[in-house]
Amino acid sequence: MAKGFASDNTRVNTTEKGVFLGATLFIGASLALIAYATWGLGINVPACVPASKGFEQASVTRHEGRNYEIHYVSRMWAFEPSVVRVPTGSTLDLYVVTKDVTHGLQIAGTNVNLMLVPGAIANGRVHFEKPGTYTIVCHEYCGTAHQSMFGRIEVSDQVKEISAEGLPTAESPGKQILEEKGCLACHSVDGSPGVGPTLKGSWGTTTELTDGNTRTMDAAFLREKILHPSKNVVKGYQPLMPELPLTEEEIKQIEEYLKDLK
Amino acid sequence: MELQKSLQRIILVELLVPLALVLFGSFHGVLQVIFRAGVIRATSFAGIEYYQGLTAHGVINAIVLTAFFAVALGHALISQELKSRLSIFGAGLSMGLMLLGAVMAAAMIYTGQATVLYTFYPPLKAHPIFYVGLVIFIVGSWVPLYMWVPVYLRWRRENPGKKTPLAVVGMFATFIVWQMATLPVAFEVLVQLVPWSLGWTAGVNVVLSRTLFWFFGHPLVYFWLLPIYVMYYTMLPRLAGGKLFSDFAGRFTFMSLILLSCPLGLHHQFADPGISTAWKGIQGVLTMTVVIPSLLTACTIAASLEFAARGRGGTGLFAWWRKLPYFDRENWLFSYLICGLVIFLFGGITGIVNASYNLNNVVHNTAWIPAHFHLTVAGPIFLGILGGSLFLITGLLKKPVVASGMAVAVPYLWMGGTFIFSGGLFLGGLRGEPRRTNLGLTYLNPTSPSYRPDWWISTHVGLVGGLIMGLAILIYFVVLIRSIAASREAAREQEPFTIPLSEPYHDEDIAAVRTFTPWVAAAVLLCVLAYYPPIRDITKSNFKQAPGYKPDSPVAVETIR
Repeated sequence: MAKGFASDNTRVNTTEKGVFLGATLFIGASLALIAYATWGLGINVPACVPASKGFEQASVTRHEGRNYEIHYVSRMWAFEPSVVRVPTGSTLDLYVVTKDVTHGLQIAGTNVNLMLVPGAIANGRVHFEKPGTYTIVCHEYCGTAHQSMFGRIEVSDQVKEISAEGLPTAESPGKQILEEKGCLACHSVDGSPGVGPTLKGSWGTTTELTDGNTRTMDAAFLREKILHPSKNVVKGYQPLMPELPLTEEEIKQIEEYLKDLK
Repeated sequence: MELQKSLQRIILVELLVPLALVLFGSFHGVLQVIFRAGVIRATSFAGIEYYQGLTAHGVINAIVLTAFFAVALGHALISQELKSRLSIFGAGLSMGLMLLGAVMAAAMIYTGQATVLYTFYPPLKAHPIFYVGLVIFIVGSWVPLYMWVPVYLRWRRENPGKKTPLAVVGMFATFIVWQMATLPVAFEVLVQLVPWSLGWTAGVNVVLSRTLFWFFGHPLVYFWLLPIYVMYYTMLPRLAGGKLFSDFAGRFTFMSLILLSCPLGLHHQFADPGISTAWKGIQGVLTMTVVIPSLLTACTIAASLEFAARGRGGTGLFAWWRKLPYFDRENWLFSYLICGLVIFLFGGITGIVNASYNLNNVVHNTAWIPAHFHLTVAGPIFLGILGGSLFLITGLLKKPVVASGMAVAVPYLWMGGTFIFSGGLFLGGLRGEPRRTNLGLTYLNPTSPSYRPDWWISTHVGLVGGLIMGLAILIYFVVLIRSIAASREAAREQEPFTIPLSEPYHDEDIAAVRTFTPWVAAAVLLCVLAYYPPIRDITKSNFKQAPGYKPDSPVAVETIR
């Protein structure tokens, strides 16, 4: 019927040989482009960093010029540090670990795209030529409040030196408990909105609950809320709070911290 | 020869039960686009949490439906083409195990004890019954291969020198790939996850479990695809009114997918720490080789359609394509396969993007990924399953397809919806919009500190597409239910049900694709070569043993029973 149709049925026909050749050339060209991107442009996928204790604490460090090293700690459901401010033109080397489940870290609008797997250290580098606010997205499902796990990098001409928010500090023991138990993932201490109500200035205030009752934030309510989180849900929030095995001593320390958190 | 009556009943159950579940699975799919666009700003709707629905959507639509369809189609084609009776005990055992496993997993998902997504990434921890259910389901799906092998060997003895029917080659390829792919995930579940979820072991090497999962997770997509390839190679040319352009192309494609399906799962882990770039790179190159059977299939099916169209009076270099029976109500199955094929072109091209090593940095875990795989698993695969199921169900029940005009409309509506849906997700993905995320609560919420107004348009385009897809499913179920409820056709009752298969135009007999053994042996060897080095690295490293977490609490737990 048409040319290229071999009558010999013991051989592959010519048209098909053309397809094999075409596919092979396509693969060759694709691999050549990938090789160029890898070695020519220096764009690689994340490498394997050996497990090390040195990355378990969140920190920011300045190297020469505008080169910085940031150690991120990810956990359900926050990044430490949560906000980083750097001057325009900065290059950031990121080392990221996870304290609990598998998370992801993508800086939207850049090529930094990392999986954060328990026991391993993710590593990426990003250069910010343009000022702006870059969202850090956790892009791997990490539990109920996954959608609330994000951070920010603010790149600005006004900033002269790196600064960070949300780094661990040697503050009151109450704050440390809130941090360790993951409470701060949902409840902010700076007044910013979250999955749960902010703790800032909450002590002594009266709030309306979903069942229509009102309660005043005091020692009794705090204790009740921690021990039976599914009850007494504050109006406008979802019944998400997990039961945490806190001791009476720990609850007392949280109470002391909240009293001072104006 | 007609299929055994009991086998027919088993096939009907294996098609109808997962389709009934798909109503739920698709409902969760529609809800997700609504959540993502921020139309519903809540953690749950109708008592089902967002991630719980996402888990159900993945497990039902991508695992339960696809595996049942492959088994049902395999039973029908193997029995018909080898003119052999199959073991009813074996087929019934397989069906029973798969149903049991599916019910166990679904029960855990719907009671909120397995909200861990269909990838069940530890250290998120599900109820042990969820993991055990998955294992039982997988074991049930292993049975058919071992039922068919003796039937096939006997056929070979009785038909010396005869070529194995192409549909049989395709179904064996499907289940050989499945057998190879599911062994590592069965190991992951049985050795790592079940004891850990029972609280017997303290922790899991997560890098290892991810690697074992993706050893399975990528060939899984070829397991979905291969039965559809069987339909493309053996049914579509005849439905178009022509012949399969080349029998060899089909055989080569099936054999090469046995070889190439497994040793490339690391391309899902390009962004993972804990694995050397060398092993990622090698499997990246191997991933690219799948272009060969894919392009060969595309060209062969196109040539077969051209041959059919020219037989129908089509002319010109390209103008022939207008002569195909796109809207033929008598021939409604053609529309499901052709629409799937058109969608698949885009699924294939975007798949090459994902496979391209460093380009993965741009798209990994963004909305781009579900945009891509909805053009594969929700394109040719889902449409092939919908069309194939309707064809088998009505054929075995000797019922007419009622409202065949609506039946023809479904794939076009679905195709339109899928393109819009994926279009939105592609755009969003390139702007950093994550997959698997209840965006409406935060990123699409103007009161949230993480509000991203630039993701509004992409999520809303996705919403429109998702709603159209939901509508197409509803119409499909109207057709299916009305057809099942219709009375039997007298004319069809007389003749035995057979699946009409194409003849080849070129019937080459190439020695290299005549037997499975060398391809299976090479596949095992290639798997060992590709996976031994990374797995050796991972097991010798000092990754900590991760304890488990319930999805709703940042405090580690021993067991969630």
